[in-house]
Amino acid sequence: MIRSAFAIFKRDFKKFLSTPAMIVMTLFIPVMYLVIFGNAMGGAITHIPVGVVQEAPPYNDTQLFTSASYQLNHISQTDAEKLLDVTVYTDEITAKQDLENGKLSAVIVFPSSVTNDNAIRLYVDSADSITPPLVQAGLNQVLLSLGARNPVEVDKIYGNIKYIQFFGVSVIMMAIFSATMFGGGMALIRDRENGIHEGYLVTPVKRSSIILGIITSGTVRAFIAGFVIFWIDLLITGIAVQSLQAFVLVLVVILISCIGVTSFVVSLASRFTTQQEYMSLIAFFNMILFLTSGAFYPVIGMPDWLRWITTINPEYYGVHALRSILLRDQGLNVIGSDLVALLLFSTAMIILGIVTYRRTLE
Amino acid sequence: MNALHLFTKNDAPPRKDTGREPGMATKATLSFYGGSGGDDSAPIIRIDHLSKVFKDKTKTVVAVNDVSFEVMHGEIFGLLGSNGAGKSTLIRILTTLLSPTSGQAFVNNLDITKDPETIRTLIGVCPQNYTSDVELTAYDNLEFYGKLQNVPDSILDARIWELLKMADLADRAHMPVRTFSGGMKRKLEIVRAFIHRPLILFLDEPTIGLDPEARREVWQQILELNAEHTTIILTTHYMDEAEKLCRRIAFVDHGSLIALDTLENLRRMIPAGDLIEIGIEHMVPGVEEAIRKIALVNAVTVVEHSVTISATNGSRVIPAILNVFEEYGLPIISISIRSPSLEDIFIYLTGKGIDGDANGNAAHGGKAA
Repeated sequence: MIRSAFAIFKRDFKKFLSTPAMIVMTLFIPVMYLVIFGNAMGGAITHIPVGVVQEAPPYNDTQLFTSASYQLNHISQTDAEKLLDVTVYTDEITAKQDLENGKLSAVIVFPSSVTNDNAIRLYVDSADSITPPLVQAGLNQVLLSLGARNPVEVDKIYGNIKYIQFFGVSVIMMAIFSATMFGGGMALIRDRENGIHEGYLVTPVKRSSIILGIITSGTVRAFIAGFVIFWIDLLITGIAVQSLQAFVLVLVVILISCIGVTSFVVSLASRFTTQQEYMSLIAFFNMILFLTSGAFYPVIGMPDWLRWITTINPEYYGVHALRSILLRDQGLNVIGSDLVALLLFSTAMIILGIVTYRRTLE
Repeated sequence: MNALHLFTKNDAPPRKDTGREPGMATKATLSFYGGSGGDDSAPIIRIDHLSKVFKDKTKTVVAVNDVSFEVMHGEIFGLLGSNGAGKSTLIRILTTLLSPTSGQAFVNNLDITKDPETIRTLIGVCPQNYTSDVELTAYDNLEFYGKLQNVPDSILDARIWELLKMADLADRAHMPVRTFSGGMKRKLEIVRAFIHRPLILFLDEPTIGLDPEARREVWQQILELNAEHTTIILTTHYMDEAEKLCRRIAFVDHGSLIALDTLENLRRMIPAGDLIEIGIEHMVPGVEEAIRKIALVNAVTVVEHSVTISATNGSRVIPAILNVFEEYGLPIISISIRSPSLEDIFIYLTGKGIDGDANGNAAHGGKAA
């Protein structure tokens, strides 16, 4: 028994050693978790865009407004860069519009000299459950140091949004990626592994047909997964879809995200020969793309090098667009740029997939 | 559904002697080389000093070494050689799956490196490995390939059924290919390669791993396809297969072409003529010398208990040989006479037999090397 057990062990271990990609990936994934998860989740949030404005009608700036604006722009947590990037507005309506369009995370409205209650109003983007408390803490710190006793009224412009709602939306993106892991690209690799591709490579079928066909099938699968998870997400987190327009937009975002993610996965698959190597690489990308999508934690909390990844991460745009629609009830004017980014990414990946696909056996 | 049932159903030329040993019975129907092959004069494939070298970190393998030949329109052309001789590589180059390291090849006057897309519309290929999707049904597999081959939708369904009937698989059309036997899978692959009525059909080891019954059915199918004026190129390491099917045969060994001709002409390459084998108990000095002196005898070899005599006209020499044995009082245990087979020719040309034969069809391999 020991002898055969040893033989089984030896055979398996030999196979393990003969796939260097697997060895690297087994070690690489935990290290990446350490680096990316650690940085993506625990990073200090800095440079939060905040608008400050003094109440209308426009009188001369009060001492409080001038000093607080200056100080807000210069506070920082220990060893970190400055917390807030303050923009001074002259008009409360414009400032609030920028907040609603996602350009600002918060707007602080200071009382004018003629206000009765002297209250400071803080409007926060409550769709993000992590940033508002930081802005509020920063404001309190500044008021304290100025000795101002003004009351602060916090207005969560999207109501009370729980972390599970903030996070839940991004799980739709994860569903899409998981579906593409097993669909789409895998079919290409399985064909190659089983030698089936030799059969259709001798037909007049074009590389572009092969890649587009596989991407379409993968996209449909991913869309179904995303759509199902979307409903489950609504049920579990209690998010309500505000309008028919929002519902349609959600479907559009899911569909375009599916094309983006699937074409990315297929473009990888067009070069791989074994399922094992491919799967370990996809698992790695699944992790890195999800972690840098802003699913768990606002992207502005990430170090610069990680934020750089988010700019080419289709899931980031997907998560952002879905949050904008579902939590903030925003429309095409806000998510338009996300859709453009997703489409650009998809196009690039489709071209990459077609160009790198090997039409021969070499 | 077993192979026997399929065999009795197919519409081969009529035979009455069904009770006979199958190999004998089919010989008569299958040995017309190339059937109605048609116009022999025009080459449809031209290969010119073609070489293929595979380079690895550790070694360099010359899989095809400076091969030149032509395949004529409408013929069944056999590429014969042992495993690893370079047959499949050659087929893969001609079917645009691999690019040659040097040299040129033309399919229907199109350069394989310059015009692979057009060539793919002209050829049908049945690779050595099964390439049907086993999770799909026979019908679905054919439909998939029909679409890839641009068979018009209006005729595709009819064409699929025609092919399924040809392969005797009509009753299994909607069953997953994974439930098929090796022979059924192979037949499906062959008709699949033919779905768009290609000008040229490449069959890489079409009967490898099949039982004798299934092999004969595949042969029958190949002949039927050839009867539709399709040029067929097949690779095999089964001598009998090449003998039964091919009009012309190319021997490939270690990547090089060592002979190419019709079977009759190849036979003439062996100077010895017929082979007479005589089994004996022991050898007596002088007998070998005496046999050599007989007119028409070309060579005599004695190996242990067997005397092999090559003679130009074997049957007419036998009485004289028997006389010699009688003179010396040497009892004969057995005697046989046969024409040299492809196997013998191959051995003569390469100095070795074709091995790696799972079915034992080339069991004599190496004996006379």
